[in-house]
Amino acid sequence: MNGRDRGRPPAPDSIRPFEFPPVETGALDNDMEVRVVRGSPFPIVTGMIVLRSGETAVPEGKGGLAVLTGNALEGGTKRLSSRELARELEDIGAGFGVAAGWDSTTVAVSCMADRLQDALPLLSEMVRRPAFPAADFERYRAQLVAAAAHRRMDPASLASDAFARFIFGDGGDYGRPLGGTEVSLGSRTPADAHGFAAARYGPSEAALIVAGDVEPAEAMSLAERDFGGWDRVIEPGPEPGAPARCPQRAVHLVHRPGSVQSEIRIGHPGVARSVEDYFSLMVLNLVLGGSFSSRLNLNLRERNGFTYGVRSRFSARRGAGPFVVSTSVDNAVTGAAVREILREIEGVVEDGPTREEVDAATSYMAGVFPLRVETTGQIASRVAELVIFDLPGDYYRSYRDRVRAVDLDQAAASARRHIRPEELCTVVVGDADEVQQQLEALGAGPVSVHRDDDEAVP
Amino acid sequence: MIEIEQHRLDNGLRVVLAPDATTAVTAVNLWYGVGSRNEPDGRTGFAHLFEHMMFQGSAHVAKNGHFQHIERVGGSANATTWFDRTNYFETLPSHYLDLALWLEADRMGWMLPAMTAEKLENQRQVVMNERRERYDNQPYGDWDERIQSLLFPPAHPYHHTVIGSMDDISAATLEDVRDFFRTYYLPNNAVLSICGGIDPAHALGRVDRYFGAIPPGPEPPPLPGDGHVPFSTGETLRADVVAAVPLPRIYMAARVPPFTSDEFYPGHVVSCCLGSGRSSRLYERVVRGGLGRSATCHLLPLTTGATIFLVIATGLPDTDPDALEEAASGVLDGAPTLAREEFERAVAGLETREVRDLQQVATRADLLSMYTTHFGTAARLNEDLRRLREVELEEAREWAREYLHGENRVVVRYLPEGRA
Repeated sequence: MNGRDRGRPPAPDSIRPFEFPPVETGALDNDMEVRVVRGSPFPIVTGMIVLRSGETAVPEGKGGLAVLTGNALEGGTKRLSSRELARELEDIGAGFGVAAGWDSTTVAVSCMADRLQDALPLLSEMVRRPAFPAADFERYRAQLVAAAAHRRMDPASLASDAFARFIFGDGGDYGRPLGGTEVSLGSRTPADAHGFAAARYGPSEAALIVAGDVEPAEAMSLAERDFGGWDRVIEPGPEPGAPARCPQRAVHLVHRPGSVQSEIRIGHPGVARSVEDYFSLMVLNLVLGGSFSSRLNLNLRERNGFTYGVRSRFSARRGAGPFVVSTSVDNAVTGAAVREILREIEGVVEDGPTREEVDAATSYMAGVFPLRVETTGQIASRVAELVIFDLPGDYYRSYRDRVRAVDLDQAAASARRHIRPEELCTVVVGDADEVQQQLEALGAGPVSVHRDDDEAVP
Repeated sequence: MIEIEQHRLDNGLRVVLAPDATTAVTAVNLWYGVGSRNEPDGRTGFAHLFEHMMFQGSAHVAKNGHFQHIERVGGSANATTWFDRTNYFETLPSHYLDLALWLEADRMGWMLPAMTAEKLENQRQVVMNERRERYDNQPYGDWDERIQSLLFPPAHPYHHTVIGSMDDISAATLEDVRDFFRTYYLPNNAVLSICGGIDPAHALGRVDRYFGAIPPGPEPPPLPGDGHVPFSTGETLRADVVAAVPLPRIYMAARVPPFTSDEFYPGHVVSCCLGSGRSSRLYERVVRGGLGRSATCHLLPLTTGATIFLVIATGLPDTDPDALEEAASGVLDGAPTLAREEFERAVAGLETREVRDLQQVATRADLLSMYTTHFGTAARLNEDLRRLREVELEEAREWAREYLHGENRVVVRYLPEGRA
């Protein structure tokens, strides 16, 4: 080809159709939902139990209990010890894991398709008949305490935890670390786990998702076989509380002596997953800081070289999760980086995105969707979101059309509605002796210095 | 079985095509045969810094244009630098194949006209911040520097890390960028794999259209230093690091036969038996034994003389580091006694994991490039499972006896400061 042809990007070929694979939906007599996605050309399958309870269902003062209870499900059942359970699953080549978040706990297994019939009863047993033996429970508790200790010394985790605490406060749903603290985990016993599982794990608040190389009818009959007899009756979980608000701008500097970078978090309480303009807000976020080509990344990384990367995010949970811009920068440019972030946030609210930016962002968001539903694990996780957030069954079928329908005015309106520059809270974890003056000189709000990190994350 | 076609353009570019009619997504993956192992003294970190420069534009693509073009059509793109290679990849809707080829060809053929001192300075700052973020401001962040410098002698290309030293990154010049490009970024030093929703004949035509005119260059120079090392360190070499870390942690490594050796597969199975999953020996001894938070084993797919067998064991806040080390070394010392049951469990787990990984077109494309680079044939990917299943228990035990003893061991221990 000659140089002139090479000078412009080539045109696309004809499009290959993509559809999210069909989701067969059913329910057992005990009200447990079953969703089956047949969609893998590989002989593999993922089975996932979604329990609609996570950390927000944990009683006050027991932060981390949902995560701890979830982890301790691997500690054995009334029939199998922890070791026996692991061996039974790993003998058939299965990978498995439990993950608890704010809104849910998932227990998942991935295995060769012909092994699903062997794996599913083990999953069922873990959830329905956990034993929480004292020694195993104590091991999982000690591991979480160790994880909490690690988070305090890891500047990125410390910054995120401190940010959550400052914007949501001590009493709020999301103001504490997800996995608990040394204090909140300190006096947990197997009785707490038994209590949480008895109150929160039950068929009416659970779903089984099967994705992969499996006939829906066969998956349904396995579901009936392994979960049909689950008869525990539980109440629905608590509804999320009212969204938190920050009264005004504030800057919190958490002193970390000897830090060679500053970890920066800037934002405020954001939106719930049920927010009406979810799609236009996600598009707006891509423009601000949700992609490589975003305003924040092009400014802080590619123009100024302040950082390896910067991103913005609305963590949409059942309740209003955080809106946060995250980055880490060289000490000497900490003030300048905060200033640029505030400027970009203010700019996108005041002037809105450009038409070109919105077109690029909608095209990106619609286009990458098929890239992220390639594996049975990814597909199962997507379907789990339908369960956790009460989304309609055809949600992923219309997903890309709804993304493409977002226009400039909607994206601009979402910025004005959900970003409040006057409430932005800035948290910096860094060496106060090097960065405090830079932050004070900014005028981005009163600077509180926390020299003892207990003040930031109790 | 994955359907694979292999071709070679006149300029030496090796091309691997793996069509998959079930997907509307395509992965384009380019491996250049250059990594940190090619860096001479005083130039550590340069291969990685150069990788960053590859995103700073080329004759027909503006700075950051690469990401903008790819993101605009709903694709993702990135690159990584490692010991033996540098890879560049895009995953995107299949009908945009040409766009990815055009972008990759433009920087393979016409990168230099777009290079400026200003761009180099910008990316130098970005990379320095990458180093600060991942190494200098991170608990345990410098573990690989410590392990590599102990495990490999100064003359070995794996003695230094991919990220390199701040001094060397500071010293890099625009002339270095030009030299490096002319030396290594050649069609005859690269493999291009395309996997996903493609028609192979059509794709090959497009590859030729975009890449065909790029001239080949001379064979890249031999590696600096000396890649030959015995699979033994002579004695247990060790370093204690008292640092601001929350938990005691031990990194334990051995020098073992490389990825390209027939002995890699038994090593892979041993690694899995000892440190993969919750019925592995390390998990049993360290985690179930109440000594630690986690303990895992890793065998890296490196090719230069030897590769790294690695154990990472993290304690609990009050764990005695000596006890943690004793547990980990006990597992390595006892590895020759592997039982059939453990062995079969490990093979079953590896099989599932491999199939699971292959679901993603990007992973498939990267593996195809890897096998072509290291073995000369992409079809080797289809032999992987068979080779794994053919490993015999006795071979695995023999491998453990031969390589996991105390005369082939490096131990780096992180000890929380302020503790007696």
